[in-house]
Amino acid sequence: MVHALEKIQQLLQTDGILLDMHPTNEPAAIAVRLREQLIPAGWLNESDDYVEYEWADEALQHVVDDRRFARERVGTFEFVWHADTLNDLRTYLAEEWQNASIDEMTAGRIEELLKLPVHDKEILLSEAIRIARYRRVGTR
Amino acid sequence: MAVFADPEDTETRALHDYADFNGKCVLEIGCGDGRLTWRYADRAASVVAIDPKAEDIEIALEDCPEELRHKIEFRVARLEELEIPAEKFDLALLSWSL
Repeated sequence: MVHALEKIQQLLQTDGILLDMHPTNEPAAIAVRLREQLIPAGWLNESDDYVEYEWADEALQHVVDDRRFARERVGTFEFVWHADTLNDLRTYLAEEWQNASIDEMTAGRIEELLKLPVHDKEILLSEAIRIARYRRVGTR
Repeated sequence: MAVFADPEDTETRALHDYADFNGKCVLEIGCGDGRLTWRYADRAASVVAIDPKAEDIEIALEDCPEELRHKIEFRVARLEELEIPAEKFDLALLSWSL
Protein backbone atom coordinates (compact mmCIF):
# COMPACT_ATOMS: atom_id res chain seq x y z
CA MET A 1 0.00 0.00 0.00
CA VAL A 2 2.85 2.38 0.80
CA HIS A 3 4.33 1.61 -2.63
CA ALA A 4 1.02 2.51 -4.25
CA LEU A 5 1.02 5.84 -2.44
CA GLU A 6 4.62 6.49 -3.50
CA LYS A 7 3.58 5.81 -7.11
CA ILE A 8 0.70 8.26 -6.73
CA GLN A 9 3.12 10.84 -5.39
CA GLN A 10 5.19 10.42 -8.58
CA LEU A 11 2.16 10.81 -10.82
CA LEU A 12 0.83 13.90 -9.09
CA GLN A 13 2.00 17.39 -9.92
CA THR A 14 3.65 19.46 -7.22
CA ASP A 15 0.84 20.46 -4.84
CA GLY A 16 -1.39 17.80 -6.40
CA ILE A 17 -4.27 16.43 -4.34
CA LEU A 18 -4.87 12.85 -3.22
CA LEU A 19 -8.43 12.14 -2.17
CA ASP A 20 -8.98 8.84 -0.37
CA MET A 21 -12.27 7.24 0.57
CA HIS A 22 -12.57 3.91 2.29
CA PRO A 23 -14.78 2.35 4.95
CA THR A 24 -13.76 2.69 8.58
CA ASN A 25 -12.96 -0.46 10.52
CA GLU A 26 -16.39 -0.42 12.19
CA PRO A 27 -18.86 -3.07 11.02
CA ALA A 28 -21.73 -1.87 8.87
CA ALA A 29 -24.94 -1.42 10.84
CA ILE A 30 -28.24 -2.96 9.77
CA ALA A 31 -31.53 -1.35 10.76
CA VAL A 32 -35.15 -1.50 9.71
CA ARG A 33 -37.01 1.71 9.02
CA LEU A 34 -40.69 1.67 9.89
CA ARG A 35 -42.00 4.99 8.64
CA GLU A 36 -39.86 7.57 10.51
CA GLN A 37 -38.67 5.09 13.13
CA LEU A 38 -35.26 3.48 12.72
CA ILE A 39 -34.83 0.23 14.66
CA PRO A 40 -31.37 -1.37 14.94
CA ALA A 41 -31.33 -5.03 13.86
CA GLY A 42 -27.64 -5.97 14.01
CA TRP A 43 -24.39 -5.79 12.12
CA LEU A 44 -22.99 -7.07 8.87
CA ASN A 45 -20.35 -9.77 9.27
CA GLU A 46 -17.28 -9.29 7.12
CA SER A 47 -14.44 -11.76 6.99
CA ASP A 48 -11.38 -9.72 6.15
CA ASP A 49 -12.05 -6.22 4.81
CA TYR A 50 -11.61 -4.45 8.14
CA VAL A 51 -8.02 -5.58 8.44
CA GLU A 52 -7.35 -4.12 5.00
CA TYR A 53 -8.92 -0.80 6.02
CA GLU A 54 -6.60 -0.66 9.03
CA TRP A 55 -3.64 -1.34 6.74
CA ALA A 56 -4.82 1.47 4.46
CA ASP A 57 -4.94 3.88 7.42
CA GLU A 58 -1.46 2.81 8.49
CA ALA A 59 -0.08 3.26 4.96
CA LEU A 60 -1.58 6.75 4.70
CA GLN A 61 -0.16 7.68 8.10
CA HIS A 62 3.22 6.36 6.97
CA VAL A 63 3.41 8.67 3.92
CA VAL A 64 2.31 11.61 6.08
CA ASP A 65 5.01 10.82 8.65
CA ASP A 66 7.45 10.43 5.76
CA ARG A 67 6.48 13.93 4.56
CA ARG A 68 5.42 12.72 1.13
CA PHE A 69 1.89 14.00 1.71
CA ALA A 70 0.31 16.47 4.10
CA ARG A 71 -3.13 15.64 5.45
CA GLU A 72 -5.36 18.68 4.96
CA ARG A 73 -8.78 17.46 5.98
CA VAL A 74 -10.40 14.28 7.22
CA GLY A 75 -13.96 13.30 8.07
CA THR A 76 -16.56 10.58 7.77
CA PHE A 77 -19.95 10.15 6.14
CA GLU A 78 -22.57 7.43 6.08
CA PHE A 79 -23.03 5.40 2.90
CA VAL A 80 -26.45 3.74 3.04
CA TRP A 81 -27.93 0.90 1.01
CA HIS A 82 -31.72 0.59 0.96
CA ALA A 83 -33.33 -2.83 0.46
CA ASP A 84 -36.98 -3.80 0.29
CA THR A 85 -36.55 -7.36 1.56
CA LEU A 86 -33.95 -9.52 3.30
CA ASN A 87 -33.78 -11.69 0.22
CA ASP A 88 -32.98 -8.63 -1.92
CA LEU A 89 -30.20 -7.62 0.45
CA ARG A 90 -28.73 -11.14 0.60
CA THR A 91 -28.79 -11.45 -3.19
CA TYR A 92 -27.07 -8.08 -3.50
CA LEU A 93 -24.40 -9.06 -0.98
CA ALA A 94 -23.79 -12.36 -2.77
CA GLU A 95 -23.18 -10.49 -6.01
CA GLU A 96 -21.36 -7.39 -4.83
CA TRP A 97 -19.92 -8.08 -1.38
CA GLN A 98 -18.91 -11.73 -1.35
CA ASN A 99 -17.13 -11.80 2.00
CA ALA A 100 -20.07 -10.26 3.87
CA SER A 101 -22.96 -12.09 5.47
CA ILE A 102 -25.93 -11.56 7.77
CA ASP A 103 -26.07 -13.88 10.77
CA GLU A 104 -29.25 -15.73 11.65
CA MET A 105 -30.02 -13.66 14.73
CA THR A 106 -29.86 -10.40 12.74
CA ALA A 107 -31.82 -11.98 9.89
CA GLY A 108 -34.52 -13.11 12.32
CA ARG A 109 -34.77 -9.64 13.80
CA ILE A 110 -35.08 -8.09 10.33
CA GLU A 111 -37.82 -10.53 9.30
CA GLU A 112 -39.66 -9.92 12.56
CA LEU A 113 -39.62 -6.16 12.03
CA LEU A 114 -40.60 -6.39 8.38
CA LYS A 115 -43.67 -8.46 9.35
CA LEU A 116 -45.08 -5.59 11.39
CA PRO A 117 -48.22 -4.11 9.82
CA VAL A 118 -46.59 -0.91 8.61
CA HIS A 119 -46.86 0.10 4.97
CA ASP A 120 -43.71 2.21 4.62
CA LYS A 121 -40.72 0.05 5.63
CA GLU A 122 -37.28 -0.96 4.38
CA ILE A 123 -33.90 -2.34 5.47
CA LEU A 124 -31.01 0.09 5.78
CA LEU A 125 -27.39 -1.03 5.68
CA SER A 126 -25.06 1.80 6.77
CA GLU A 127 -21.33 1.90 6.45
CA ALA A 128 -19.17 4.70 7.84
CA ILE A 129 -16.77 5.98 5.18
CA ARG A 130 -13.60 7.86 5.98
CA ILE A 131 -12.76 10.59 3.50
CA ALA A 132 -9.48 12.46 3.57
CA ARG A 133 -7.68 14.99 1.43
CA TYR A 134 -3.89 15.01 1.19
CA ARG A 135 -1.58 17.38 -0.64
CA ARG A 136 1.61 16.18 -2.26
CA VAL A 137 4.69 17.60 -0.60
CA GLY A 138 8.35 16.79 -0.90
CA THR A 139 10.30 15.67 -3.90
CA ARG A 140 10.01 12.40 -5.78
CA MET B 1 -33.76 -6.99 -6.95
CA ALA B 2 -34.50 -3.74 -5.18
CA VAL B 3 -31.37 -2.51 -3.47
CA PHE B 4 -30.36 1.11 -3.92
CA ALA B 5 -26.87 2.33 -3.02
CA ASP B 6 -26.67 5.81 -1.56
CA PRO B 7 -29.82 7.28 -3.13
CA GLU B 8 -29.20 10.31 -0.90
CA ASP B 9 -26.01 11.03 -2.90
CA THR B 10 -24.04 11.53 0.31
CA GLU B 11 -20.90 10.20 -1.33
CA THR B 12 -21.10 12.66 -4.23
CA ARG B 13 -21.63 15.58 -1.87
CA ALA B 14 -18.62 14.53 0.22
CA LEU B 15 -16.53 14.10 -2.92
CA HIS B 16 -17.21 17.64 -4.12
CA ASP B 17 -16.94 19.08 -0.65
CA TYR B 18 -13.42 17.69 -0.30
CA ALA B 19 -12.04 18.36 -3.79
CA ASP B 20 -12.48 20.78 -6.63
CA PHE B 21 -12.59 18.81 -9.87
CA ASN B 22 -13.08 21.81 -12.14
CA GLY B 23 -10.58 21.74 -14.98
CA LYS B 24 -8.44 19.10 -13.27
CA CYS B 25 -6.58 16.15 -14.78
CA VAL B 26 -7.77 13.28 -12.60
CA LEU B 27 -6.44 9.76 -11.99
CA GLU B 28 -9.05 7.47 -10.47
CA ILE B 29 -7.63 4.27 -9.01
CA GLY B 30 -10.05 1.38 -8.62
CA CYS B 31 -12.81 2.90 -10.72
CA GLY B 32 -14.74 -0.37 -11.01
CA ASP B 33 -17.73 0.04 -13.30
CA GLY B 34 -17.47 3.84 -13.24
CA ARG B 35 -20.11 4.36 -10.54
CA LEU B 36 -18.15 7.25 -9.03
CA THR B 37 -16.53 8.46 -12.24
CA TRP B 38 -19.82 9.75 -13.64
CA ARG B 39 -20.25 11.91 -10.55
CA TYR B 40 -17.31 14.24 -11.17
CA ALA B 41 -16.04 13.69 -14.74
CA ASP B 42 -18.26 16.40 -16.21
CA ARG B 43 -16.25 18.98 -14.25
CA ALA B 44 -12.78 17.53 -14.90
CA ALA B 45 -10.57 18.41 -17.88
CA SER B 46 -9.60 14.77 -18.33
CA VAL B 47 -9.82 11.49 -16.44
CA VAL B 48 -7.72 8.34 -16.53
CA ALA B 49 -9.70 5.68 -14.67
CA ILE B 50 -8.04 2.36 -13.94
CA ASP B 51 -9.12 -0.96 -12.48
CA PRO B 52 -7.52 -4.41 -12.65
CA LYS B 53 -10.88 -6.11 -13.33
CA ALA B 54 -11.46 -6.27 -17.08
CA GLU B 55 -15.15 -7.10 -16.68
CA ASP B 56 -15.73 -3.93 -14.63
CA ILE B 57 -13.94 -1.76 -17.18
CA GLU B 58 -16.07 -3.36 -19.89
CA ILE B 59 -19.21 -2.28 -18.01
CA ALA B 60 -17.78 1.21 -17.51
CA LEU B 61 -17.08 1.54 -21.24
CA GLU B 62 -20.62 0.43 -22.06
CA ASP B 63 -22.23 2.72 -19.49
CA CYS B 64 -20.11 5.81 -20.13
CA PRO B 65 -22.40 8.72 -20.99
CA GLU B 66 -21.88 9.98 -24.52
CA GLU B 67 -21.01 13.49 -23.36
CA LEU B 68 -18.15 12.18 -21.19
CA ARG B 69 -16.55 9.79 -23.67
CA HIS B 70 -14.08 12.33 -25.03
CA LYS B 71 -12.56 13.08 -21.65
CA ILE B 72 -12.41 9.69 -19.87
CA GLU B 73 -9.84 7.04 -20.67
CA PHE B 74 -10.60 3.71 -19.01
CA ARG B 75 -7.75 1.23 -18.65
CA VAL B 76 -7.50 -2.31 -17.32
CA ALA B 77 -4.44 -1.79 -15.17
CA ARG B 78 -2.94 -1.95 -11.72
CA LEU B 79 -1.44 1.24 -10.38
CA GLU B 80 1.99 -0.36 -10.02
CA GLU B 81 2.17 -1.16 -13.73
CA LEU B 82 0.76 2.13 -15.00
CA GLU B 83 3.11 3.72 -17.50
CA ILE B 84 2.32 7.40 -17.47
CA PRO B 85 4.78 10.32 -17.33
CA ALA B 86 5.44 11.68 -13.84
CA GLU B 87 3.56 14.70 -12.52
CA LYS B 88 0.75 14.36 -15.07
CA PHE B 89 -2.21 14.63 -12.69
CA ASP B 90 -3.68 17.38 -10.53
CA LEU B 91 -5.79 15.00 -8.49
CA ALA B 92 -5.69 11.31 -7.64
CA LEU B 93 -8.79 9.59 -6.32
CA LEU B 94 -8.61 6.39 -4.32
CA SER B 95 -12.13 5.12 -4.10
CA TRP B 96 -12.43 2.22 -1.65
CA SER B 97 -9.32 0.88 -3.36
CA LEU B 98 -6.18 1.38 -1.27
